[in-house]
Order: sequence, then C-alpha cells, then structure tokens
Amino acid sequence: MTAPTIAVTRPVPQRASRGLWRDAGRRLLRNGPALIGMTCILVFVVGAVLAPFLTPYDPSIGQLADARQTPSLTHLMGTDLLGRDEFTRVLYGARLSLQLGVISVFFGLLFGILIGASAGGLGGKVDALLMRIVDVLLAVPGILLAIGIIAWLGRGNIQIMLAVGVSYTPIFARLLRGSLLALRETDYVIAARSIGASRLRILVRHMLPNAVTPLIVQATLALATAIIDVAGLGFLGLGPGDPRVAEWGEMLTDSARFLQYAPYLIFFPAAAIVISAIGFNLVGDGLREALDPRLRH
Amino acid sequence: MALLEVEGLVVRFRTHEGTIYAVNGVSFHVDDGETLGLVGESGCGKSVTSLAVMRLLPRPAGHVEGGRVRLDGTELLDLTEAEMRDLRGREVAMIFQDPMTSLNPVLTIHEQMVETIRAHTQMTAEQATARAVELLGMVGIPHPETRLKAFPHEFSGGMRQRVMIAMALALHPRLLIADEPTTALDVTIQAQVLELLRALTAESGTAVILITHDLGVVAGMTRRINVMYAGYIVETATTAELFAHPSHPYTVGLLHSIPRLDAVEGEPLIPIEGVPPDQRRAPVGCPFAPRCAWRLAACWTTNPPLESLVPGMPVVLTGDRATHRIACLNPPTPDETAAGMPSRPGFVAAPAPGSAVDELATAEIVQ
Repeated sequence: MTAPTIAVTRPVPQRASRGLWRDAGRRLLRNGPALIGMTCILVFVVGAVLAPFLTPYDPSIGQLADARQTPSLTHLMGTDLLGRDEFTRVLYGARLSLQLGVISVFFGLLFGILIGASAGGLGGKVDALLMRIVDVLLAVPGILLAIGIIAWLGRGNIQIMLAVGVSYTPIFARLLRGSLLALRETDYVIAARSIGASRLRILVRHMLPNAVTPLIVQATLALATAIIDVAGLGFLGLGPGDPRVAEWGEMLTDSARFLQYAPYLIFFPAAAIVISAIGFNLVGDGLREALDPRLRH
Repeated sequence: MALLEVEGLVVRFRTHEGTIYAVNGVSFHVDDGETLGLVGESGCGKSVTSLAVMRLLPRPAGHVEGGRVRLDGTELLDLTEAEMRDLRGREVAMIFQDPMTSLNPVLTIHEQMVETIRAHTQMTAEQATARAVELLGMVGIPHPETRLKAFPHEFSGGMRQRVMIAMALALHPRLLIADEPTTALDVTIQAQVLELLRALTAESGTAVILITHDLGVVAGMTRRINVMYAGYIVETATTAELFAHPSHPYTVGLLHSIPRLDAVEGEPLIPIEGVPPDQRRAPVGCPFAPRCAWRLAACWTTNPPLESLVPGMPVVLTGDRATHRIACLNPPTPDETAAGMPSRPGFVAAPAPGSAVDELATAEIVQ
C-alpha cells in the first residue's frame, strides 16, 4: 500500500552537522561584530609578533633631542618625553599586554576550574567551604585584590599574572560550579549513575565537557578586562617594575603629566587598550551566540 | 525468595516548602524473570520508588525514611555507595523516560557504551567495542559498526531508546527498571520498542519493572500490575485478573476514563473528579477518599492495608498465582465496577469531616 503524499514545501536538505565546535566556528565567521573583533585582535597579535620588523626603533632607547615630537612620517605616533618612538612602544606594549592578559586569564581558569570542579563535583561540605572562600574573594573588588597581591609578592610580570589571575578565579569557579550543579540532575548523568559509572568518571567524562562552553565565553570576555586590569596596575605604578619596558598602563602614567603639551602621547596607548578590549569583548559575545544551542538553526 | 523484595518503603523529600510525602510504605516483590507493571498517574510515587531501589534519589532532598529493599537477599539500603555502584548496571539497570536527554550529547555512542561495559568487566577496549557492536545489532540498529561512532543527536528518539536498552542490557542485569520507556516516543515506535524490550528480556530471563501511566502498555507487557496512588499501592493483581476484575475504586475509575473500542457509541467517559492529594501534607485516612464515589465515613480517617480480595486466602506475592489484593474499605460490586459508579440504593459518598470539604474545594480552585 502506498500512502498518498502531499509535498507542501520542498524538503530542506539537512546540512550535516560536523560537531559543535566546527558549527560554532562557522557561525562565528558569519557574525559581523565578532569578525570586527577578531580583526582588532589579529592586528594586535600580528603587530606584537612582527614588532621588530615593523619598526626600526628600539622601544627602550630614545634620543632626548627627539623628545615629544608630534606624529610625523618618521615617528608615526610621535615620540615620548625621553625621545622613544611611540609607535614602537605601542607595538611592544601589545606584546606585553597580550601576554600578561592571556596568561593571567589562563591562571584564573586553572584555579577556577580546580575550585569549581571540586566544589561542584564533590558537593557537601567541600562545596560549602570552597564557595564561602570564593564569596569572600568576590566581595573584594578585583583590582583591589590584585593590588593587595602585588603589594604582598612584589612587582614583576609573574606577580601581575598571578594577581590578575587570582582576581578572576572566583568568577570562573562560580560559573563552573553552577553549571556542574545543573548538570548533576540531568538525565544523562543519572543514567550514567544508573549503570554504575564512578563519581570521578561522571565528573570528568560526562559533566566537565558539558560545562566548558560558558567557561570559554567567560574567559574570552575576561581577556578584555584582564588587559584593562593589567594596564590599570601599570597606571597605578604596579606594572612590570622596569621603566624601560613598554607597557600601555605605564605609558599612560608617564604621559598624563604632559597632557596639555602632547595629548597624542596619551591617545595612542589608550586607544590600543580600548581597541584590544573591545576586540575581545566582541569575540566573546560572538562566541556566546555561536555556542548557544537555542540560537542554533 | 524473590529477586527483589521491597517492604514498607517510605520516601520523603525535604524541601523549602516542607516535607513531600512521596512514597508512604510500599511493599512488593518481583521474581526472577517476572515482569511487573507499576501504574499510576504523574506524581504517585512510581518513579521515586524505582529511584529509591536504585539508590539514585536526588540528594540531599530525597530520603528513604523506612523500609527495606532486598535484591537477591542483599539489603541495598545498607550498602556503601561504592558497593551500590558496583551493583548498578551489573545486577540492576534502568531505562529512563526521555531518550533525547538520557545520552550525553558530547560523547559518541561508542564512548558511552564501551565505558559502561569496561566499568564492570575486565574486557579490553577491542572486546568491549565488539560487544557494543553486537548489542547495537541486537536492538535493531542498522550498520552498528558505523553508527557506533555517531553522536546521540544523529539518532532519532526511537533509535536512542534502543541504544539505552542496549546499554542497560549490556551486562545482563537480573532486574531492569524501565521508567516510562516509551512515553516520549511516537505510537508506532512505542510498539516496536516495547516488543524489543519484551523479546530481549524474555530471552535473557531479566526481570522487568515497567513504570507507566499507560494501561494499554502494561496490558500487553506485564504479568502482574501494582496500581499506585499518592505513594501507596492501592491494588495488585495479575494483569489478566486486574483487567477482568478491577476492584479498587481508583482502578475502576482509571479504566473508565479510557475510551474503549467496544464501548457503546455515545457512552460518555467517566472521569475521576478532583485532583490527587497535596503530598506536602502527612497522609490521613485513605488517600483516594476525597475523590472516591464509594467512600464511607471511616475512609476519611482509616487507611486500610492491602488485603486479599477473598478473605482468609493464603497470600501469594509473586507469579501467575499472585493474590489479588486491594486497599479498600468499601470495594465496588461487580455491577458497580461495570457501571463505573455506585448503584446501591440510597448510597451517598460520606461527606468529609469538618473542613475537609473546603480543602477539596480550594484544592480544585487552586488547580
């Protein structure tokens, strides 16, 4: 027997799904703002990596005779009060800022995942204790916490990374713990328990892979604030500690006194901070949309 | 000794709104290879009973507050979590209602099946993979070797439930708890999956507890049926006996609220009036009394135990000769059962004592 069929609409060919990440990547590339964000980041990454080839100057050596020149063809962004090429310093500053930003977020993620996974995975008293510690950390403003840590450990790149990283830890820990708690009551976790999977196995194999998506989005967004935080520490005089090193925050501090005479000296590093932060923000938002199953079509 | 012996099981949930009286003293036995249906409407404690048996009640809210659960003589409630984990999957396994959510979306079927098999056996990865292919073939999944590498979202609902069945039966458990295994599936797929479940468990001699609210499903699948209401078993009998002589007013009501093919045209369905009791209150009297057309004044205060329909008969708990037992002070007569309502001259359902009437009325308004 053949049933009469009525073709109302032409069947839409089902696009084969090639896994969550590839699908998300494709959606990300179709997202305009995210593309702009990626371009911003790419420009800074390329500039940072190729800095020695893009500029003939040294970021830490300047001719005092050339101090405070306005932007020109020889000095694209002018020179600072010690005669160092501003463009070169912004490029080398990108190196440091991206490096410090990425590594501090990595530290934050590492500590956050350890704390969040222990709390969400073990539950009970461990969870209660860890979350109270996290609450305390959250109650202290991030930058204040970072200043405190640097005051304690002294100045230096590693200290900055640890300080900023620790100030992000509670955010990641909370986020992961929340996801894990929600996952604990999902059918497939109960189903895995019903066939005798061990606690650790359920946590590592079943729960963590399902909880990383929000973490990745949050980490990308955190990169934006980490760059600002690093610059903020530099601005407050808690930067890398070596005045020869080009660091966007310290460049702001150094030029702030000459705002009236040489406003461009504050404009370019500030613009670099803003553009890179916006870049990571746009990519983070784009990732959030690309990874949101409700927006998937 | 029966395979599974549940005696006086009491489960409560402690929530912010107070205690939920989910299961209030349930006793039943399941023999090796027997299929038992657990029937009742949503929230009557069917799933909670099975989760309690599996020791998978949501923590920290859910507690077993009394009773015993013995599997093959082992007291499950006394086992440590590690001992229980070893038992799950190997001795007793479970299939869940929604196949769309009971497989992990980020792992392939291969990873999930091989993991299960290897967690309990000494098999190598290759052996476990071979076993997984064999199992998938057994549950009727075409091209099992290639499908094994697929992710859950590449399967239809019916296929996923087949995968779940394959995983549950992978280690030859002696008892399989199937919690509404076909509720989320299309009717045509339902029949296929049920038939598969029946055939596979019959072949391996696995005992099955089939939880469902669908009397049609249990009619074809089970040897015995427990009817549950508000955390109690109100009637238990062999399947044939239960459908031939439903005897508890609730069972009678259930059967009369289903359209029948052999019904006289135009004959109305008789719905059960009212709503199930609020399980946030400690149960007093018969839980079905507020909705029962046969209730006596005593029903408001006394909850009768499950007792043999024919007094004085020795009680058989399991098998084809299981005694038909009901928990009712005033069971309907056969004529009333057929009519679906009391027909004794002058009989009026006893009014609730005091404020109980208002309670029922407000409960209905709130709903």
